[in-house]
Amino acid sequence: MGIIETKNFGIRYGERVVLSDVNIDVPAGRFFALLGENGAGKTTFIKSIIGQNQQTTGELLVNTTLIGFVPQFRDISRDYPLSISEFVSLSYNSGWRFWLSNQEKKRISESLTRMDLADIADKRLGLASGGQQQRAYVAQALVKSPELLILDESTASLDHEHKVALLQNVTALQKAHNLTILFITHELKLVSQFADGYLLFKNGTVSQGEAEDLNVLTLEMTHRHDEDEVRNV
Amino acid sequence: MFNYDFMQNAFMAGTVVSLIAGIVGTFVVARNYAFLTHSLSEIGFAGATFGLFVGWPALLGMMLATSSASLLIGALESGYTKRDNVTSAVSALAIGMGILFLALGHTSTTAATGILFGSVLGISHQDLLLLVILAFIVILVLLFNYRALRQLSFDEAGMFLQSNSQKMVRYIFLVIIAISVSISSQLVGSLLIFVLVTLPAASAKYYVTSTLKLMGLAVAFALFGTWVGLTIAYLTNLPTSFFIAVIEVLIYLLSVWQFQKKA
Repeated sequence: MGIIETKNFGIRYGERVVLSDVNIDVPAGRFFALLGENGAGKTTFIKSIIGQNQQTTGELLVNTTLIGFVPQFRDISRDYPLSISEFVSLSYNSGWRFWLSNQEKKRISESLTRMDLADIADKRLGLASGGQQQRAYVAQALVKSPELLILDESTASLDHEHKVALLQNVTALQKAHNLTILFITHELKLVSQFADGYLLFKNGTVSQGEAEDLNVLTLEMTHRHDEDEVRNV
Repeated sequence: MFNYDFMQNAFMAGTVVSLIAGIVGTFVVARNYAFLTHSLSEIGFAGATFGLFVGWPALLGMMLATSSASLLIGALESGYTKRDNVTSAVSALAIGMGILFLALGHTSTTAATGILFGSVLGISHQDLLLLVILAFIVILVLLFNYRALRQLSFDEAGMFLQSNSQKMVRYIFLVIIAISVSISSQLVGSLLIFVLVTLPAASAKYYVTSTLKLMGLAVAFALFGTWVGLTIAYLTNLPTSFFIAVIEVLIYLLSVWQFQKKA
């Protein structure tokens, strides 16, 4: 049984059909790249997975409730006050206790260690570097030990070295904890070194492919990829 | 100076208000709700004049107006409209109505300036009791929703897969702000709500990096301004609100300055 399965799944926004006839089956424990041009429906599809889209047709099965999500945009200015460790602890957002239990503290410090943030846990998030901030976002999403981790263009603002480091970090987790990763990205060349498969959003639907096919796609889309890189700089 | 009943009341009211303003202000600043807070004080002015017009206590009219206005703003704000624009529309309407009720009620200018600029030296035992009860309710509600409120204010983008009770937190928070604004305006007046709700928390965020410490320091800044302001006002016979404003603005400017030097 896959962790995400769809059967003739579709999403509409009012009259506009965003996606239709989506038939995919993502097995657990894999790293999938979500590819496609801006506006092709990648983020909209993710919203359905985390239960935020109302107007859907067909079937979408998400076989886990343990989901970690790293959104594309966050509003963190330089004077954002919270420390990295307190930011990570924001994941504990239910209940009334204003202190953390020992169990929660332990999970937070594990999550910080996994993302190489233990040494700067007390640093202000607002004054951390772009790479550190992205790692903090991922660490926050990992606190509750998710089975499915969704990253929305988390490497877009980073330099090459940090892009690779971040993906190495999450793929290590994928292997160690049988974590499924969905990674929305425009960076084909980068992701082809890590992904086990892909979902390509094109012409109002989604096609699924294996890692081998990624290289073919890489050649086809190299031109577009270059454009994206220019935009990201 | 504590031989006078009115000074005792003023200090106690100032302490309660500073406590609430500092705690609620922490979330207000984190969520960038400063403009909403300011607008709510204008809306509170309309509510107070309405209260006087129909013969209620000004504070009651104020709380009713600010609570319903903030719920309205909460319901109207969505992906389609900018929060600030919705807030401007609602507060423009409110100020207009405030002027109308002021005229209709033949309210004296003393009452109107009391609402706008605060009248801390005129606070009675009864007012004080009401303040304490309201403050107690606000703190209780805040504590019971602390975790959800913290995420909403400091990282709304990270909120997803929400339970219904977490969705309610937005509205609970808006009503809490409304009540806190109404309480605080008793002290500094509705025109100077910034001084106690926004500035202390905005200053505190340059020094500390955890939510609880932020609240603590914001309360300390608010208390310092209020106590020193009341004392100087007593000695000089000049308006309390003026001194509290000057002290809080100075603290804010110093905080920004030291942060920029450090960062």
